[in-house]
Amino acid sequence: MIGEKKLFDILTKVLSHSKADETEIVFSGTESGLTRYANSQIHQNVHENNCKILFKSVIGKKIGVASTNSLVKTDLLKTLNNSFEIASTQPENPNYPGLAGKAKYKTIKTFDEKTAKFTPNDRAKVVKKIIAISDKKGFDLAGAFSTSSGEIAVVNSKGVRAYQPFTSATINMIAMSGTSSGYAAGTSRNVNDIDYAKLAQRAVEKCEVSQNPVSIEPGTYEVILEPEALASLLEWMNYIGFGSKAFEQKTSFLAGKVGKKITSDQITIVDDALDTSSIAFPFDFEGVPKKKVPIIQKGVAKGVVYDRMSAKKAKKKSTGHGLTPEESSEGAIPLNLVISGGTAKRDKMIEKVKKGILVTRFHYINGFIDTPNAVLTGMTRDGTFLIENGKIVGGIKNLRFTDRMLDAFKTTVAVSKERDLVASWWSAVGCIKAPTIHLKKFKFTGKTEF
Amino acid sequence: MKDKLKATIALLKAKGVEYADCRFVRREVEHIQVTNGTVDMLSRDLNVGVGIRVLVNGAWGFASTSAVSDADLKKTANKALQIAKASAITLRHKVVLADQEAFVDHYTTPCAIDPFLVGTDDKINLLVSLTDALTKEKKIQRAESNMGFFKTNKLFVSTEGAEIEQDIIESGGGYYVIAVGGKEVHKRSYPNSFGGDFMTRGYEFIQEMNLPAHTDQTIDEALQLLKAKPCPDTVSDIIICGSQMALQVHESCGHPTELDRVLGTEISLAGGSFMQPELLNKLQYGSKIVNINADATIEGGLGSFGYDDEGVKAQRTPIIENGMFVGYLTSRETAPVIKKRSNGTMRADGWNRIPLIRMTNHNLEPGEWELDDLIKDTKKGIFMGTNKSWSIDDKRLNFQFGGECAWEIKDGKLGQMYKNPVYTGITPEFWNSCDAICNKNHWHVWGVPNCGKGEPMQTAHVAHGTAPTRFRNVKVGVSK
Repeated sequence: MIGEKKLFDILTKVLSHSKADETEIVFSGTESGLTRYANSQIHQNVHENNCKILFKSVIGKKIGVASTNSLVKTDLLKTLNNSFEIASTQPENPNYPGLAGKAKYKTIKTFDEKTAKFTPNDRAKVVKKIIAISDKKGFDLAGAFSTSSGEIAVVNSKGVRAYQPFTSATINMIAMSGTSSGYAAGTSRNVNDIDYAKLAQRAVEKCEVSQNPVSIEPGTYEVILEPEALASLLEWMNYIGFGSKAFEQKTSFLAGKVGKKITSDQITIVDDALDTSSIAFPFDFEGVPKKKVPIIQKGVAKGVVYDRMSAKKAKKKSTGHGLTPEESSEGAIPLNLVISGGTAKRDKMIEKVKKGILVTRFHYINGFIDTPNAVLTGMTRDGTFLIENGKIVGGIKNLRFTDRMLDAFKTTVAVSKERDLVASWWSAVGCIKAPTIHLKKFKFTGKTEF
Repeated sequence: MKDKLKATIALLKAKGVEYADCRFVRREVEHIQVTNGTVDMLSRDLNVGVGIRVLVNGAWGFASTSAVSDADLKKTANKALQIAKASAITLRHKVVLADQEAFVDHYTTPCAIDPFLVGTDDKINLLVSLTDALTKEKKIQRAESNMGFFKTNKLFVSTEGAEIEQDIIESGGGYYVIAVGGKEVHKRSYPNSFGGDFMTRGYEFIQEMNLPAHTDQTIDEALQLLKAKPCPDTVSDIIICGSQMALQVHESCGHPTELDRVLGTEISLAGGSFMQPELLNKLQYGSKIVNINADATIEGGLGSFGYDDEGVKAQRTPIIENGMFVGYLTSRETAPVIKKRSNGTMRADGWNRIPLIRMTNHNLEPGEWELDDLIKDTKKGIFMGTNKSWSIDDKRLNFQFGGECAWEIKDGKLGQMYKNPVYTGITPEFWNSCDAICNKNHWHVWGVPNCGKGEPMQTAHVAHGTAPTRFRNVKVGVSK
């Protein structure tokens, strides 16, 4: 960790050397450790200390981006100059909106000292403890446990000075018998907020109950999708539908549907980076304050998120969803999806199902089949159960689903009040907060052998 | 830098490690993207650092740093030692490495034109001219063209005496259009979807692709998709085009033969494999005409290199011979499980990642058919176009892959175009239904620059030599 004052000092000194009309610098630094375990022992254990400094130089409306991972002054100045040279060789971008101006950001606590100081030895002790829980049932345990700390800063020539330190802790685990597996996962800013033993117990129980699974035929079933399963569907819907680029190029299933009812009125999805019960973050990579953005409200499509460039094209204002300068050609994308909770109690939802399937999680979802219709496919994994007359009767072999998601969400029966945080690859700045959901119709189109 | 790495190795030796290696990686990346004539992105990145891997009492530790002073390297080496000791807390089976000759060598990829010395204007002009040509039809609402270039310098030094330097240049690009008409929105790409085609070659590869020559066909096919019928739900013979075959080989043969995945080390992310060691030399994976090899020595293949990131020399390994499953992709740690030495497939996505078993150039060897003859020989079927979607279960058995488009085959001729084609199967059943592979005239090594694996996520550059291939009685069209 460099710290706010020193980091601003380094970055603003470099900024002062810029010859461009406008200049932006984005700094992202992390110190992260990740412990992977399989066959009930640690097999990969890594540590990384790295940073990235991205420079955006603008001459008129000509934009150049260059980056380095060296904080040595000469390297920083050389990279700044590279971005200027790149800009000078470019044609003008008529959509360039100018850099963001100075702003105030919500004060959010995103850093936990204990998480930052968590050592490889501390992680190994946690892993040893959860392996012991799995050992009691004779199951193998596999998973990954990461802890990281870091800081993100954005400075620009129009006065933006944004800085935020952060920590993150994420664990997943899969208990495995010869015929079954069970999954559990947790994520938090604070490493000590995760109940590792409880998660291990859940993974072991799922593995135990789903032993010797039976094969059932594909077809349309009533389903209970646990938070991990629902979040993975939403992660793909987000990617193909909730971002500005997909909306602009009309490949999004929301294109042409804003203001129209597209799902059950029990479905409300917002992007809310300021929700401090989730993985919150106060600003985007352009230094714009994060705004809460409704995507689907009581089943009605409301819109998508924007960065400065896409907002200009759409004649909107940025919602604070800009990515880093090198990713900005992908447009804006939500990083903090929150699916509203309902009124159902999670442990009572199964009781309402006469014959159906409980899905712990999905595997290898793909949403490119037919994006305007939000067709997704994927496999169930690590805990798929048959429900009969309101009770889980045992495990079933994994199934492939292929379905139009908006149609599936039109059949929502209930949404749980309780919600979990589900980690994503962007866990430093966000995650998905998801409930358990009960759908009347969900289409399974294939099956596998385990 | 080599002296710094050697000093670090000497330090680790003095601390009594069983094994250690240090990798310095310096990587330059340039990416240019143009949309509808406007440069969306022109970025250059320089990334430098050192990764240190140590084996202590049978347990691994790895630490990496972007700061490369002597003091930083010493601190990082000590961190790696500390991590290895932490790993040992849960140790049940000690890591044993297969024997390996310690090479001292320098490898360089072939490159006629250094892409980093080609003028930015030239690159932009080509990309802009492509999107200009692609948007001449009103219904083509978006055209995006891109190029990517990578220049990597790697130094590998180990406690066993290896000193290997490699300079690798990679180049590639492509384009796509989005056609919009009424409620229909369709994408068509060239020469392949998701970024185009890539090789370990210089800018000459961009020139040889002759991207401007294919814009009219791309527009035409995108417009046809607006009027195309949905691909029917049926069981049909299918011919899969070369680039889609690359994806088929990648997902259903490449990943399931990575021996680390087979032994369970990837369970926490992408799962395991049905191709377990007890099936080696026993599983009839495919029909007798199916021959698949992993060959890191093909000149220009995106999965080609001189040495892997454990210092093992690049080589060619049979994976499927006459349909029989005969080999794995291995590492020094996993090879002893099948009583072999490593066949050199351990690669890391930069200095800050550990090496994992990765595909190299995983190739389906060409058969004997001319494509025209193969289509003529197919009375009723479907010809599957460029990849659009992919999904496979966590043991690599049940797969479902989709294309940007397909064509009906009727009485040995290509007929109407279909939209949103999808086909599905169970891996060994599917490969055993393979009855024809096109010959070397239709065989191409497709570069795949976005193969994901591991935690933290690593992206590998791999490739697949493939040609159009026919499969009998395949389930087609389940997307409705």
